Amino acid sequence: MAVDVLGRTLNGQEEELMRLYDGAKALLAKSEIPPCVRRNVGVALAALWNATNDLGLQFEQLYDLGV
Amino acid sequence: MSDSEYWNPKIETLPREDLQRLQLLKLQRLVDWGYAKSPFLKRKYDQAGFKPEQLKSLDDIRRIPFIERQEWLDEQKRHPLFGETLTAGQDEAIRYHSTSGTSGATPLRVLDGTKDWQWISEMWALGFWAFGVRPTDTVYFAFSYGSFIGFWGAHYCCEKLGALTIASGGQTTEGRVKQIEELGVTTVCATPTYVLRLQQVASELGIDLRKTQVNKVIMSGEPAGSIPAVKRMIEDVWGAKSADTAGMTEIGTIMIFECSHQPGGTHIIEDHFIEEVLEPGSDRSLGYGEKGERVVTSFGRGFIPLIRYRTGDLVEKVPYSECSCGRTYDIYKGGIIGRADDMKLIRGTNVFPSAVEAIVREHSEIDEFQIVLTKAENLIDEITVRCELKTGSDGAWSQLQPALSRELADGHEGLRFNVERAGAGELPRFELKAKRLVDQREWKIPQEAR
Repeated sequence: MAVDVLGRTLNGQEEELMRLYDGAKALLAKSEIPPCVRRNVGVALAALWNATNDLGLQFEQLYDLGV
Repeated sequence: MSDSEYWNPKIETLPREDLQRLQLLKLQRLVDWGYAKSPFLKRKYDQAGFKPEQLKSLDDIRRIPFIERQEWLDEQKRHPLFGETLTAGQDEAIRYHSTSGTSGATPLRVLDGTKDWQWISEMWALGFWAFGVRPTDTVYFAFSYGSFIGFWGAHYCCEKLGALTIASGGQTTEGRVKQIEELGVTTVCATPTYVLRLQQVASELGIDLRKTQVNKVIMSGEPAGSIPAVKRMIEDVWGAKSADTAGMTEIGTIMIFECSHQPGGTHIIEDHFIEEVLEPGSDRSLGYGEKGERVVTSFGRGFIPLIRYRTGDLVEKVPYSECSCGRTYDIYKGGIIGRADDMKLIRGTNVFPSAVEAIVREHSEIDEFQIVLTKAENLIDEITVRCELKTGSDGAWSQLQPALSRELADGHEGLRFNVERAGAGELPRFELKAKRLVDQREWKIPQEAR
């Protein structure tokens, strides 16, 4: 079962948010994506990082993904 | 939830024990990250004999050596442009900013990556939401953006939270006042000094700011935003509520904000920062109600991890329960009180410019003022407060002058202040950070001692 950084179980909304976050990370990790996708998904990932970090769902750095 | 009083209800009302667990976890991860990626931090920690694994509790933060501003500047000088503080390549950055340099010192340079830059506006959004800024607001920035970071994050925060956002760079004060009236602005953002300047020009133009749609004035950049007399005057002239916020280039954003309950201070965003209050010049931790120097650790900008940075800001922390808003963030009573290095020693008495301003601003007849320090022939320090009166207040001077002199002395252990009148338009006005203290003291050897 997925938990936040304090070890508490995620609610449905938080699980959905983490799916989006992890999905954006996975997409950016691919090497063959066009610039329009890389930069826009990067900006979206930065926004998702803020929402998930605000809620204490993750705390990590994303510079290796260019974000 | 869209009408929530809180930007982030889950964390802003988190029980203190959980908030502190969150802080510890973030601190451990940030220190691990900094030690692994920043040559500057690795060198510093190794020299001090500190290892990241020593962080078992929040109290262990005291094991981490401080970062001082001067050593950061020295590091940037040794390894231009940014020093070996960066944890990622410069090509990952999207923003460059530097300190304002109002003190005349070498500016400090910083970089931000994409997520860092969004985090910067996120902190402002939390604070603006807490003061009541909503998507229906029209927010006006009476400020000229540049390489100084001031208000940039606030601008993007307003876009993020859905407000209509108006930048006003490259305009005269007169032009700005007219726009505020014409565009139906509801929220004005500026430094406290510049808010007063807008008031002055509005008065000259015959514009009654109470008749505009402005209902919120949000200030940053100077301690005056929390001085009660300044707030009272601004709220009276604008017919609006005023809020104080404070941030710094070194962290890129604000770390404290005033909520709509106006508790007489500013909440600390404690899930994103650890704010310690220490005895100035020492590492002794101070408790609630004791004035000391703030030392900040920021969890936001991973590009340049800022861990235990001695700010030189003077603060007094009080518990969150002193505010009725429901947030569990502790509070800095009176916001940033001043700076340790702003303090002047005059004939054995400590004088802070912000404390002088708090007394001067109780007199609504005074439009602008300046503190001048000189040395008399006998080498004794003299402190003079020069006051420029508002138009039509000439008659008040004969009573105001001795009253102000007495009040300043009463507020400073009986220290004698000279109070002089300045001519209309004689004193400088400021848009950014005001410099109202002029230190002209020079060591001159008196004739009779030669």
